[in-house]
Amino acid sequence: MLVWVIYDISDNRTRSRVAKICKNYGLYRVQKSAFLGDLNRNESDSLAVECESVIEDSDSVYVFPMCEDCFDKIKLIGTGFDRELVSGMTVTKFF
Amino acid sequence: MFITVSDVIEYLFCPRFIFFMHCLNIPQREERYYKVLRGRELHESREKVNTSYVRKRLKCVRKEVSVYLTSRRYRIKGEVDEVLFLDDGTAAPMDYKYAEYSGVVHRTHRYQLALYGLLIMEHFEVPVNRGYICYTRSNHHVEEVIFRQKDYDAAIDTVNEILRTVQYGYYPEGTKQKARCVDCTYRNICD
Repeated sequence: MLVWVIYDISDNRTRSRVAKICKNYGLYRVQKSAFLGDLNRNESDSLAVECESVIEDSDSVYVFPMCEDCFDKIKLIGTGFDRELVSGMTVTKFF
Repeated sequence: MFITVSDVIEYLFCPRFIFFMHCLNIPQREERYYKVLRGRELHESREKVNTSYVRKRLKCVRKEVSVYLTSRRYRIKGEVDEVLFLDDGTAAPMDYKYAEYSGVVHRTHRYQLALYGLLIMEHFEVPVNRGYICYTRSNHHVEEVIFRQKDYDAAIDTVNEILRTVQYGYYPEGTKQKARCVDCTYRNICD
């Protein structure tokens, strides 16, 4: 399933740790504090637990699952992300 | 030959786990998973913190922590998180899970407790007719499992099936629930 991870964290160190966790799970950075990628239910749960152990009480991390139909209805205005890459349709991308 | 209670859990999840682990000696490398590591931390801290506390609400009078038991009769071994001695003269195994309570006690957990029950009955010579599971991710919710004879019988049957699989090197059928294959450690080598 497609999962969005969006966070609001004040401490630089904690914020970069959460970003690193997201990258380790193979999520794509679509904005500074927004990640998106294809995870299974166990991975998404594990990611949430891992983020929970890092953040403070005042911080917030949202983990949103998203269905494929809803993903197709996303409207991208301005510079958006690569839909095919994020949804796992492109396996590897060479730059 | 002895098999562990954890082997039974893995066999119930998918019979092929046992084949890959014990016949082909391919390790699971489960330490790569964050939740597994957190579960291990939980078990370590539980051995050190609040060891003298007995659960009065469960009518427990005495407990023993991290008891390693083996049985020649059933050919199983395992470490029980806690053995609770209750005020009615019976005992009960208690197992801690780094998991959330989903409203049902899974078959794997039920059989695990039943096997611990058999080990406790044999070793301490007290009757065991119930067990407990503590779900630490649901605010330490404790769920009681009442054992019936058929639970014990089914657990022993599973042990015998595992022994047969290992001793004859028999390649078993995989689980029918394909959702389990999604994050299985052996999915690359399993057909």
